[in-house]
This record gives sequence, C-alpha cells and structure tokens, in this order.
Amino acid sequence: MSDGQSMRQAASWPAEIGQQHGARGPDQTAAVEAAALNKWFGSFHALKDINLAVPQGGRIVICGPSGSGKSTLIRCVNGLEPFQSGTVRIGGVDLTRDQKQLQKIRRSVGMVFQQFNLFPHLTVMANCTLALRRVLGKSRTEAADIAAHYLERVRIPEQAHKYPAQLSGGQQQRVAIARALCMNPKIMLFDEPTSSLDPEMVKEVLDVMIDLAADGMTMLCVTHEMGFAREAADQVVFMDQGSIVETASPATFFAAPSQERTRLFLDKMLR
Amino acid sequence: MNFDFAFAASTVPTILGVIGTTIGVAVLSCAGASILGFSFEIARRAGSVPGYLMRFAIDFIRSTPVLAWLYFLYFVLPHWGVTLPALVVGILGLSIYFSGYLAEVFKAGIDAIPKGQAEAAKALGLNRIDVVSFVLAPQMLRNVAAPVGNHFVSILKATPYLAVIAVPEMLGSALDIASNTYRYAEPLTVVGIVFLVLALAIAQGVNMLERKLLGPTNR
Repeated sequence: MSDGQSMRQAASWPAEIGQQHGARGPDQTAAVEAAALNKWFGSFHALKDINLAVPQGGRIVICGPSGSGKSTLIRCVNGLEPFQSGTVRIGGVDLTRDQKQLQKIRRSVGMVFQQFNLFPHLTVMANCTLALRRVLGKSRTEAADIAAHYLERVRIPEQAHKYPAQLSGGQQQRVAIARALCMNPKIMLFDEPTSSLDPEMVKEVLDVMIDLAADGMTMLCVTHEMGFAREAADQVVFMDQGSIVETASPATFFAAPSQERTRLFLDKMLR
Repeated sequence: MNFDFAFAASTVPTILGVIGTTIGVAVLSCAGASILGFSFEIARRAGSVPGYLMRFAIDFIRSTPVLAWLYFLYFVLPHWGVTLPALVVGILGLSIYFSGYLAEVFKAGIDAIPKGQAEAAKALGLNRIDVVSFVLAPQMLRNVAAPVGNHFVSILKATPYLAVIAVPEMLGSALDIASNTYRYAEPLTVVGIVFLVLALAIAQGVNMLERKLLGPTNR
C-alpha cells in the first residue's frame, strides 16, 4: 500500500464540506482515506486492516472475487455500513456514527448502486430533485434546472417526466448517476454499477462514467468491467478475502501483476 | 314462503334510519384500527422489551374473538369503575380487534420495501424523518392500500356485532322488525343488500386510491 501512503498530504479540505456547486480548488487532502479499517459481520472478518487513499481527482477501480469485501469497503466510505475499528476520512473529516455529521458528509459523496435504487413512486425529475430540495433547500425551479442539466449530461433529458419502471435498466442507472451528480458531490462511489444490466446496456452506463472520469471527478468504483478499469482508472486495487492484495496502475496491473492471487484472478476474468 | 316486496320496501326507511350509526362506527373504527395497528407495528420494530411485548400483544389481539373484546369492554371494565357508552365500546372494541390484523398488514407493507431504498435516500444526505416521509411511507402506502381496504370491508361487516351491546345498527334494527312481524326474509335481505352496496363502494374507492398511488406504472 505504499502507493496509497504517498498520496496522503496535509493540506486542508474546503472549510465547509457541505458547500455546493462551488469550484473545486487544487486541494491536496485525500478525498477518501481509510486507515487500519476492520469490519466484522458477526464472526466473519469482512475487511482486514484496509489502508486506502484516494487522492482528489483519483479514479480508483476496486476489483476482486465475490465475497472479497469490495462492496463492504465502498459502503463503509459513506457510512452505510458501520465498521468496528480503524478510521475513514472524507476530505479530512473523520466518519463517526453521529447522524448529523454523516448526513453532512453524504452530501458530498454520491453513490450509485448495483440495483439502481431509484424511488419507484417518483418521476425521474422528482428522483433528482428530492435531495436538492429537502437537503440543500433549493426552490422547485432551481432544483428542476439543476436536475435537467445532469439528465442532459447522462443523455436522457427527454425521460424526466417518466417513472423508473418505464425505463430500461441502462436508463435507470443513468438516472441514478444523474441523481447523485445533482448534489454536486466531490466523490462518486460506484458499487458494481453495471452488474445487473443486460449486456447491451453496459456500454451506455460505462460511457457516462468515462465522461465523468475525463471531467476530473474523484471516483471509487467497484466493478468487474476490466475494460473500464483499463480506460478510465488511474489505479486498480485488487481485493481478496477482505484484504487489499495489490494496488497498481492499470498498465502494471494487467500486464505485470506482482501477486500470484491477482494473476489467478485476471486469468479467470480476461478470457 | 313468499317474499313480500312491498313489505321489504316498507322496512327500508327503518333500516336506513340507522345507517349513519353503522357508517360512523365503521369509519371511526377504521381510523382507530389503522392508527393503533400502525403504532403497534412501529413499537414492535423498536425491538428489545417493547418489541417483544408488542409482538405478544398483537398475537393476543388476533387470537381473541371480537365478541370477547366487546363483552369485556362493556361488562368487565365497569367492575373496575370504567363505564363507557355502548357506542364508544363498539368503536374501541372493533379498533382493538382489527388493529392486530392491520399491524400485520403494515409489517408486510414495510418489509416489502427493498433495503436499497432507505440506503439510496440516506446516501443522498436525507435525514431520518425525510427518508421515512418522502421515500418509505409513500411506498408503504401503495403496498398496503389493497389489504387495508379489505380489512376496512371486514370492519364494516363486523358492525352487526355491536347489536350485543345494544348499539342501534342495521342488523339489529332488522331483527327488531323481524321479531315484531315474524317475517325474517325481507328485513334481512334488505340489510344484506345495503351491506353489499356499502362494501362495493369501499372496494371501488380503494381501487381508485390504489391506482392513483401506483401512478401510470403497474409496478
């Protein structure tokens, strides 16, 4: 993990973490930093001493066999999953169990789920504006403008009035991405965003994610899409049995992985 | 025996004369049972001691006959100095009895919401109250609309039990007519038809509500 360690630097995060729609300064605090993170489900040791630092603008792909703890790790980052020891810092702020503080941090951390988790009783537009209005206190028209902007960005502005069930899986996932982007997050978490999509819809979602990466969004992404890792990631993290086995640049990771377990995994994935 | 339509028609005003009581008791009992049932279910979810007590209470309520509740509230409570008017006993009894069933309906309605819904709402930074009021409650409502409607029909059909504590409702007044005239078929048929019309009206209302809640998609 020496890679990760070297990225930790002591500069400050913008004073107000909930600050929205402001410019992203050239700030050097790690966007996400997990240190000595341990998590148990009952007696099952799901995360073992995880150390991971995501620099601002970093695009990290986490891969590994199922049950290796990838999703658990990413869910710890925004406090959806409690952990027993270690620290998680978002922009230099320690994650605690304090609800108010969690809510504040979550505003700046967007999350996209494997199952989309759009709100089925709300239109696409209302899915996107709910948090803008309830969390950020935007007016109806202001929120609608922001939502329209991001729906445009994920290339489905024409679906705004529809309900999630009227959309294809790929469209739903793009709405979910737009919904998260509406909060102008500093970090985006993706938890296997294409795993429940039909094959022909994977690309439209990956394309949106690649655009985001190109725009400099800080991304932490659990995925089995090795093509995406190659194209968009600047670091690939391989996890197995709750530990980080290897961290490398995509070029090194795919061409010359240093660990035997990584090699075995890649052998199975890349055929 | 021949059915006397003219006599049947003559019983209608008497029977409809107390339809207000029937409807009033039914509406208030539906409201009472829903509020109690929902509160019971929330308490049951609290877990630990209140949760276990509530689980027992809900099972207890569901396994006792509605008549037992009415008799208990009407004849036993006064021994402890609590004397309630028959109408109040009726509404209270039906509310308690059906709250047990509605608690189960609300449980199913809440359990049916995927866990990811609350997670997505929390991940957007919504506080707990907003997660419940804007994401979970609306989805619970659409899940429970149909079964709650069924129980509302059951509550309506249980109002004749109130005859045993002398609340003037439709079945009771039909029986009064019958015992005075020795003709049972006509008044009972009229009562049956009135209940049928009321039940169909509730079912129709619930249908419309459910369609509205589900929106344009038949999820």
